[in-house]
Amino acid sequence: MQRMFMRRTGLALLLMLAATALTFWLVTAAPGNVAALIAERAAGAGADGAMIQKIADDLGLNDPLPVRYVRWLGDALTGDFGVSIRTGKPMAEEFSARIPMTLTLLAGGGVLALTLSLVMGIAGAASNGGVVDRALHGMALVGASTPNFFVAALLVIVFSVWLGWVPTFGVSGFTSWLMPWFTIALFPASVLARVVRVNLQDTMSRPFATTGFAKGLTRRAVLLREALPNIAIPYMTTFGAQFTLMIIGAIVVERVFGLAGVGSFFIEAIRFRDFIGMQAILTLFVVFFVSVNLFVDLLAMLADPRLRRPRKA
Amino acid sequence: MKNWPWAILAPALLFVLIGLFAPLIMTHDPGAQDYGALLTGPSGAHWLGTDYLGRDMFSRIVGGARTSLVAMAFVLLAALAIGVVIGSFAGYVGGKTELVMISVIDIVLALPSLIIALALMGVFSGDNFTWMSDYWKMIVALTMAWWANYARMSRAVVVAELQQPYIEAARVMGASHLWIFTRHILPHVLGLVVVYASADAGALVLAIATLSFLGLGVAPPTPEWGQMLVDGMSYIEEYPSLVVIPGLALTAVVVSFNLLGEAFALQKVPRAVRGRFLTRKKVARAAEESARKEVEA
Repeated sequence: MQRMFMRRTGLALLLMLAATALTFWLVTAAPGNVAALIAERAAGAGADGAMIQKIADDLGLNDPLPVRYVRWLGDALTGDFGVSIRTGKPMAEEFSARIPMTLTLLAGGGVLALTLSLVMGIAGAASNGGVVDRALHGMALVGASTPNFFVAALLVIVFSVWLGWVPTFGVSGFTSWLMPWFTIALFPASVLARVVRVNLQDTMSRPFATTGFAKGLTRRAVLLREALPNIAIPYMTTFGAQFTLMIIGAIVVERVFGLAGVGSFFIEAIRFRDFIGMQAILTLFVVFFVSVNLFVDLLAMLADPRLRRPRKA
Repeated sequence: MKNWPWAILAPALLFVLIGLFAPLIMTHDPGAQDYGALLTGPSGAHWLGTDYLGRDMFSRIVGGARTSLVAMAFVLLAALAIGVVIGSFAGYVGGKTELVMISVIDIVLALPSLIIALALMGVFSGDNFTWMSDYWKMIVALTMAWWANYARMSRAVVVAELQQPYIEAARVMGASHLWIFTRHILPHVLGLVVVYASADAGALVLAIATLSFLGLGVAPPTPEWGQMLVDGMSYIEEYPSLVVIPGLALTAVVVSFNLLGEAFALQKVPRAVRGRFLTRKKVARAAEESARKEVEA
């Protein structure tokens, strides 16, 4: 088991390396840009070829790509992600200012998605084909199909413009977080509610559930005590995948509500051609995705001994 | 496909038809500005009113359908073609080549497709890519982000199909690799991938709108729903319809493709597919069971 853990962790680290190398290669595929942009920033329109050349030399932009990647990696491992071309501040500083905002968004959204999906899924399974079940199915379908920026816009129209309960812009206090949280939670909650619903129905038709009924347990008891623990693994796996996808929601939500998080920085970096900033944020994303997936896999392995056996290739 | 709910095709088909015949349906030029009729409500002349530049909302919605449809079709076809070729090649050849190709696919799939597309839009904004229009940049970026899923799926089908006895029989009878691949394996791959693509179309329409919403997709003169929505955000307090109309259009299209995907999933789909499709298979099994229960009751 320990060996499987180590193996899986090693693979994840390799994947991180490879993925950052890929993004590094992509982002630097527009050569000359970085030096020219920095020169432009420093000297306005007066930047000439010599100055651009000097900056390129100083930053080692003329070295071969592998050399640059290794140097970048060495810096990144010590927490140095370079200086943002757009803001002129070190990326490490930007990170410490912006990561808490995005993490608050993801954590709140994650908790909300978890709660909503479990409530919806269990209510659906309890109703089993009834009106509640069908209504929840419809809601989940619409929830999984509505673009998150439209969800955000609708929330603003109803709760800010019509009712005037929460400010349209920025965050101050708990209530103003509710709209951003709900916006990013709706899609994962809808998908996860389906997972809960379908898997619960699956387990309810297994022999052990029938045994539960035969013992005289009520439907509710079988559902909650016998069936529910069995959906933990598919639920966990899907939750992990959906949680990582919530970063896309975070990008959109940060734009709509004007939050200074990592996502809005990413979009600004792309628009400004801040390649250093882009690479830093992409690295952050890669680390986030790969480690969430790793964590979910390890949890699943802990919970289900069958997954611990090495698979035959 | 005997009991297949054909009616479920209708909404998606409607979107395709509107997109195809957009020039005939539009009542106005979607780019024409009328400063005499800024931000008006629905009327006989402008069925859905006008926006902040006096452009006809109905025509812009119809034009937006065309923009989405064309971009979606290009990306879907290109991603499908690239994915099928790479994936089935990897699966058929096997060995170290396969391992390397799978690794590349896994690396691309390490980030969500939309994030990759966003990063590529940034890369394409560099000086080396001025020869591409924004519209094509978006299509290329989305394609480069989207193929990997199809490649992984195709490979899985090929590997599973190669283990079937009839392939061995064909080989014994002296069939060439090309014959075996095109006659026996490719139909299985395409069968599955095309079904998946029809459900994936909704996700792609959403991705196109999201890119434009973030200002990194279709450039302004072209009517596009995500962009109409972000433009409308500035007028959300007085004229929420500017946001609600494109939002509803977008949601309706995505719902219709998701319905299609669900209908496909409820039928028997080919086996040997991992990941997202596994959950769909479970949906299928659950549906069969509930159908059986209904018959019994």
